[in-house]
Amino acid sequence: MSATIKYYCSCLSNTVVPPAPHLPSSSHSFHTLPELYFCEECDAVRCNECVSIEVSGYYCPNCLFEVPSASVRAEKNRCARNCFFCPQCFNTLAVVPSDPPDGTSFHQANSMGEPPFLLYCNNCRWDSAEAGITFEKSTGLAQQLQKHEDSAPDSLEFERLKDFFEPLLRASSSNTQHAPGTSSHSTHTNPITAAASSALARDIPGVSKYHPPPPRSRQKSKHGSKDDMPTYRSRVEIGGINGYGAGGEKDADLFSRLEHPSQVSTLAQKWTGSWSVSPLSRDLKPIRIPLHSRLTKRCPSCRHILIKPEQKAQSVRFKIKLVAANYLPAIEVHLPQPTASTRRVPGARTTQDADQSNSSRSSLLPGKSYPFRLGLKNPLYDPIQVRLVVQRQPLPAVPSAGEASTEKSRRPPFAISLPSTAFSIAPYAEAWEYEDEDDLDGLDDDDGLSPVKAAKGRSKTVGVLEKKANTTIVGGEIVIAKDGRGDAKFNMLVSYTYRSDEPPVDEMIGSKRATDLVKTNPETKTFTFYTVVDLGTIIPKEDARTASPDAY
Amino acid sequence: MPPIRDKFIIHSKAVVCQDVDLKGDITIGPGTVVHPKAIIYAIGGPIVIGSNNIIEEGATIVNRRKEVMRIGDENLFEIGSRVESPSVGDQNTVSTKARVHHTVRIGSHCSIGPKCFINTSEDIKLDDFTVLYGPNWEERLWSGRGQKQAEDLSTKHVEYLKEWLPKFNRLRRGEMP
Ligand SMILES: [Zn+2]
Ligand SMILES: [Zn+2]
Ligand SMILES: [Zn+2]
Ligand SMILES: [Zn+2]
Ligand SMILES: [Zn+2]
Repeated sequence: MSATIKYYCSCLSNTVVPPAPHLPSSSHSFHTLPELYFCEECDAVRCNECVSIEVSGYYCPNCLFEVPSASVRAEKNRCARNCFFCPQCFNTLAVVPSDPPDGTSFHQANSMGEPPFLLYCNNCRWDSAEAGITFEKSTGLAQQLQKHEDSAPDSLEFERLKDFFEPLLRASSSNTQHAPGTSSHSTHTNPITAAASSALARDIPGVSKYHPPPPRSRQKSKHGSKDDMPTYRSRVEIGGINGYGAGGEKDADLFSRLEHPSQVSTLAQKWTGSWSVSPLSRDLKPIRIPLHSRLTKRCPSCRHILIKPEQKAQSVRFKIKLVAANYLPAIEVHLPQPTASTRRVPGARTTQDADQSNSSRSSLLPGKSYPFRLGLKNPLYDPIQVRLVVQRQPLPAVPSAGEASTEKSRRPPFAISLPSTAFSIAPYAEAWEYEDEDDLDGLDDDDGLSPVKAAKGRSKTVGVLEKKANTTIVGGEIVIAKDGRGDAKFNMLVSYTYRSDEPPVDEMIGSKRATDLVKTNPETKTFTFYTVVDLGTIIPKEDARTASPDAY
Repeated sequence: MPPIRDKFIIHSKAVVCQDVDLKGDITIGPGTVVHPKAIIYAIGGPIVIGSNNIIEEGATIVNRRKEVMRIGDENLFEIGSRVESPSVGDQNTVSTKARVHHTVRIGSHCSIGPKCFINTSEDIKLDDFTVLYGPNWEERLWSGRGQKQAEDLSTKHVEYLKEWLPKFNRLRRGEMP
């Protein structure tokens, strides 16, 4: 539904407490549970921002060939076998033989098919003969194409550029103790950057020519700067295939004779190519498929491996997979009904329609209260005790610019009620082990952790609502202030106590609470983590009146 | 509109599953395979389907016009496609969830890609070898290279279905032509 929950990784801050939900930094610190890892060594959640990543192997996503890392560079990060994208529609191409001559049926012909072979697209029915490419053999097509590619002017130019920069790179690495010049802010102090930027400043095909007045610093560096970088002169005027695509007279002539937009190659078709690409779609060449990599991920602090895929490209399994979903309870938030339909005429909309409209964020009205549900699922083979605490929100410090700082705006925009006592979640079990004990495992045999009683007068909405298998559903409530505005977002601390396999030597945060909860079992541990719950947006009074229900 | 009178002529060499939805005056030629849950409605005028076509599950063929809707040979109507063309040539492929409006006649050797939708206000005819593909329904002309292989594949496809479909489905029999 529209309400969401995300889990905190503390890597971006120095404290274990997350930023307040209205701060911009909040969105970078919270992640969905499936994106998170768990380091057993550190007993901590890790995210993709903080884990260190190593490439454990390269493979072609099409033929699943594992490419040794030594040859990845030589093959320019693309599959060097028979894998190509269609230059028109980016479908993968198939190698097909030529049709047998008329009169003979296909069965009679050679089973391998007749040369020349073509690359053929089953989606748009493009074939490589349209671009003038055919093959004598049906294997090793990339090598057969390599000759074309290597002799292309762009490719030769690139090789020359590399040769040109080679000595400069060597020189720069040999005297790294290079005293910064007077114009140290200039990017030209480093010979590599200097060379690169001067090369980049040359005309780019397809981009209209622009000659900015040379800045002073560059003129200076030309005359006797310590860089002593020779000027690079390109051997060929880069002009794409057949000299087209450079933005010159020839292109203008070409485009004046176009008859159909499909004759022009689209931007998407052009920028997948490594070299400058023809402006005509009929000239487009098949594209070797870029390689993918499999990654190993490590904990940033203890260097233990969190994710290690199996070596084989065909395998979808992992040798090591420490994901947070196997350690932390999965929580789902559900806000039963947004206001959109409650404000409508009764009967004007069926509940089904209303459910479908929930895909957008739900909107909440000031001065109202809404029940919501949290479904917690236990991934462990042992029962856990969970306690939920709403993190106190610092009041919005300064009201937004241009608004009078009234007393009203200093009040919190909403208040959250959650079950205040701990509740249990049954252990995870394989589906067949549950049988029909589901019905027995209801609220009744709950060991004294029944819903919050009349003390709060909300026994129906706030408290434990349902227990089924390894899921416990608890109810909460949000009360929106009369002048509330902004997002109904709050940080929630979740602590759960579980039976530890290790002796309870290093009791951690919240251990005090743990002993309160489970007095009988000394071998328990408590883990705490933060989440952010987003229930929707509060529609300020004035907007709510004008908002038309049709907008949903 | 007068009530539609059902009249099904199914060739003895056609494979039409029991669980298909037929309405009106329909003729199905030899070798044509109609999968269960296919829908063929001759609402306006009759529908005449040639030989060795494949009409897959959930494919819908509708004739809204008075004149006869003629479908040639060796066409493939994939799952969930919908064709209301007044005429369809030979060896076309209408891919999954593609839709062709009743103003569009289909030539031969055309390929209408998945989810492509052709709808025009005036009557048009798709040229032979027209290919429509992609999310923006881009149009190309097929060179025709590989046509023999496509035919061969289509023949094998029909042969396979003719052998296997009757083992798992009851067949429908109509009047013999
Ligand atoms: Zn971290
Ligand atoms: Zn992190
Ligand atoms: Zn490959
Ligand atoms: Zn293609
Ligand atoms: Zn660690």
